[in-house]
Amino acid sequence: MNSFLSAFFSGTAQGAIYALVSLGLVLVWRGAGVVNFAQMGQAMFTTYIASQLIQHNYSYWTAFVIALACGAILGAIVDLGLMRPLTSRKNSQLLNSQSMRTTIPVIASLGILGVLKALAGIIWAGEERGFPSPVPANAIKIGETSLAITGFDLFVIGVVFVTLVLTTIFFTRTGMGLAMRASALNPEVTRLSGIRVGSVRTLGWAISGAASSLAGLLVTPKTNLSPNTLDLLLIVGFTAAVVGGLTSLTGSVLGGFIIGYVIAFVNVYSAPENVFIAILVFLLLALFIRPQGILGSKEVRRV
Amino acid sequence: MLNISNLVTEFDSVKALNGVSFQAKPGCITTVIGANGAGKSTLLRTISGLERPASGSIKWFDEELTRKSVESIVRSGIAQVPEGHAVISQLSVAENIELGGLFRKRIARGDLEVATKEVYELFPILFERRNEPAGSLSGGERQMLAISRALVSRPKLLLLDEPSLGLAPLISAQIINIVNQLCRSTGLTVLLVEQNANTALAVADHGILLALGKVVADLPAKEMIADSSLRAAYLGY
Repeated sequence: MNSFLSAFFSGTAQGAIYALVSLGLVLVWRGAGVVNFAQMGQAMFTTYIASQLIQHNYSYWTAFVIALACGAILGAIVDLGLMRPLTSRKNSQLLNSQSMRTTIPVIASLGILGVLKALAGIIWAGEERGFPSPVPANAIKIGETSLAITGFDLFVIGVVFVTLVLTTIFFTRTGMGLAMRASALNPEVTRLSGIRVGSVRTLGWAISGAASSLAGLLVTPKTNLSPNTLDLLLIVGFTAAVVGGLTSLTGSVLGGFIIGYVIAFVNVYSAPENVFIAILVFLLLALFIRPQGILGSKEVRRV
Repeated sequence: MLNISNLVTEFDSVKALNGVSFQAKPGCITTVIGANGAGKSTLLRTISGLERPASGSIKWFDEELTRKSVESIVRSGIAQVPEGHAVISQLSVAENIELGGLFRKRIARGDLEVATKEVYELFPILFERRNEPAGSLSGGERQMLAISRALVSRPKLLLLDEPSLGLAPLISAQIINIVNQLCRSTGLTVLLVEQNANTALAVADHGILLALGKVVADLPAKEMIADSSLRAAYLGY
């Protein structure tokens, strides 16, 4: 029973982080039609910024807020500085095939990932460093019995829960949220409604950047921080996004939690070295059984 | 006054519009008719900024539109209802309507509420179904929704792209009539593109006949209806 509970709780906490990564990927995919491979590179970079601030005696929370802001700014810069010029009307007229037009931003995102990793290596050297947690990472105790959940897990779950509630309110209750959903679903009708789809898209990149930055801050206390630490997180997050359906924000969050449980239960009941193969098998199964994802629309690719 | 002169729009060096010039008077319905491929939709898409013209000018009163973005054209009071009952089917009816007025939310919140009330009065069925996804509406209801989305932006000029396409004659007549009433009661300027020339000319003040990207007739609607040789030559009936 205890190992089940421990798998459940760590699955929830890990799943919460995967949900953030997956949410970030889906936001950009829906808004801009780009799979942003640089996403966790951006997160790695902002986590380094936070780590640097903490080393210079700023409080955890100051570093936390600044890292999130940097994540949002970095996301916006990637869109404004690179993606927008690459997909501009003038440029896309030069490329006469649709597949070229959709591939180029993806390749560009790989380029950004490389640049960010190299920069992090140059600025902060390549070695692993720890990243602090704001709460103790010990198991929570009630009297003498220790529960199967750590304080840090609870912290992660709480932060992600608040983030998801705020995101839901933003998307369903505010005009800007409506504009974002509309631009993703039908850019032409949205533009004809007088909404500046380009700015809305940049906002999507910024929110995605902040969400992945948050994921970076929440995962590194367990994994430590190096330029390559977050690569695995992108793969898991991407799997979660595909399982969830790529086009659905709710689906991406669900997918994140499902993958979290898969990984946690394989970890506890099988062996940690089987986690990778389990992710792969799960992804394949999901693609065979429900290629459009749990909540994805049938038309997986926007044309 | 909408003043279009020498407008040329090309697709891969094929001239979809080849030197189109005409004027649409404010407060009137001007209809653009013509066979398939005559360039009617391209004309509307060029006015609303979705297509960039190769040359020529589009003036709305003193404002030159050809250099402006789609968004700013809408914001200067020109709303397009695109072809094919363009609504966002995953969003609810109310959200589709809200979308149309979103850009005015900060500048004219009060009027936005009034405008929303007005379109619900104009199309009560949309009010009944306001919480349902737009995708569940019938073709006619979708067209009403697309028009409502445009109307809440309080346009001065409404561009309608084949509103009767794919609709039962009774429904399309109903929709055209409502547009007609709007024009007469509010002074809205309407540019109506139609393949169904009879329906359009029946309500229009003025008719423009397009063929292969050129204006071949520019007449008051009544004269155009009467001119059977024109219809025989360009519309085939």
